[in-house]
Amino acid sequence: MIESRRPYWLLSVVSVVGFFAIWHVITVAQLAPANLLPSMTQVWDAFVDVLHNGYRETTLWQNAAATLGRCLAGFGLAAVTGVPLGLWMGRSPALAASIDWIIQFMRPLPPLSYMVLLILWLGTGDTSKVALLFLAAFPTIAMAATAGVRGVNQQRIHAALACGASPQQVFRHVVLPSCLPTVMTGLRISLAVTFTTVVAAELMTASDGLGWMVFSASHFLRTDIVMLGILILGLLGMALSRALLSLDLWLVHWRGRE
Amino acid sequence: MPRRLPLRACTALSAAVLIAAWLVLTWGGYVRDLFLPPPGELWDGFMDLLTDGYRNRTLLEHLEASLWRIFAGFVTGAVAGTLLGLAMGYWRAVEAIFTPYIEFLRPLPQLAYLLLLIIWFGIGETSKIILLFLAALPVSAVAARDGVRNVPLQRIHAARSLGASEWQIFRHVILPSALPEIFTGARIAVGVVYGTLIAAEIIAGSSGLGWMILDAGRFLRSDYVFVGIILIGLMGLALNWALVALETRVVHWAGR
Repeated sequence: MIESRRPYWLLSVVSVVGFFAIWHVITVAQLAPANLLPSMTQVWDAFVDVLHNGYRETTLWQNAAATLGRCLAGFGLAAVTGVPLGLWMGRSPALAASIDWIIQFMRPLPPLSYMVLLILWLGTGDTSKVALLFLAAFPTIAMAATAGVRGVNQQRIHAALACGASPQQVFRHVVLPSCLPTVMTGLRISLAVTFTTVVAAELMTASDGLGWMVFSASHFLRTDIVMLGILILGLLGMALSRALLSLDLWLVHWRGRE
Repeated sequence: MPRRLPLRACTALSAAVLIAAWLVLTWGGYVRDLFLPPPGELWDGFMDLLTDGYRNRTLLEHLEASLWRIFAGFVTGAVAGTLLGLAMGYWRAVEAIFTPYIEFLRPLPQLAYLLLLIIWFGIGETSKIILLFLAALPVSAVAARDGVRNVPLQRIHAARSLGASEWQIFRHVILPSALPEIFTGARIAVGVVYGTLIAAEIIAGSSGLGWMILDAGRFLRSDYVFVGIILIGLMGLALNWALVALETRVVHWAGR
């Protein structure tokens, strides 16, 4: 509550440096067994090794590409279908009434629970994973789009109609810009869900991907690669959410100025 | 509302179509029972689970195993996260110290660090509860921080000019204003915890609903898988309802 101009980012830096210092001290003083807590240099060596030689015949790039590819395929499919359907549901109460109950049932279901079923139906390959990610992302996106359309100020629509706009023009120039902030929020939430889910799915059944790499390394007690994987996944998650946030700010530059 | 009835009819009609499709597909023999069990088999599977249980444990014991983990992980994570978030909202220094970790932990897929936790703490309950604790912590912390941050400054200034002490301001102004957001955070956190737990039970469990459907899937008992998924969905809804009920009781001033 007390505002001041002290450089708080310095404290953040000190805090992160402190974390790594504690890690370093623990490993140097051998307070923890090396196979449980590898040193920073070991993790760095693992990084260089995985980058150049790969892990069990797959390079780091291949694994990262596999994870991101699945994630974006499932998310993209859900966005391409969920946004139009949600917009349509927002316009048509009858359609909303027909579909909403399915979405409401899907939403609280943890995605991994129906992964078992998808594997049974579609096999263990990428099809079942992309289907899983699609189903994980779809309800949030469709719901956000529906809510966005429903939340459009009716006076604006009436004003545009009174000025002689056609229904298409009203949709394109009034409804779409007004509901875009909500749609983008839905997309951001569901991308985070998709990223979490893809890693879980890769732990369950996969032969490449970052989740698989961490899973496989943990079996061989390669804690250095496990920690490396966690670091990469964390940074990747941050990058993904940042990327969509800046897309949001750039695309919906009118957010919050209504 | 004259439009109420046709909308209900739409819902009923779409549900009827879906159920009819299920009946036609299964009873007509278009898909094998293995992939989509007919209603009778589903019911039998449910009764089986209810009376005989699954793999030496009753259905209730599996449910209890899952619920206990959720409870332990969620309560500890939400309480710690809320306290941390309140401190982060109140003191900029605390925020600066912890923000890097919260921002790193939040988008990190929970299952990724489950493996590290298993290496450190073994495959038993400890690693799962710590996992759920870590899943709930950042969500609750961010909600509490934003709750404190969004308290209208006029209220704080008004209280201060009336002579309230810092603690009184915190207790009587900041906390009540932040509580609605803290509860919203708790509801999101319970959803995250629940999803994480089911995933954790599927990947490294030996009891619980998640493990049950994985194991049933291995033996191609799709009736058990279906019953398990429906139960997991219902339990998720029940958890959310419980928190909403608690929220309306505790934060009766929300929205006013």
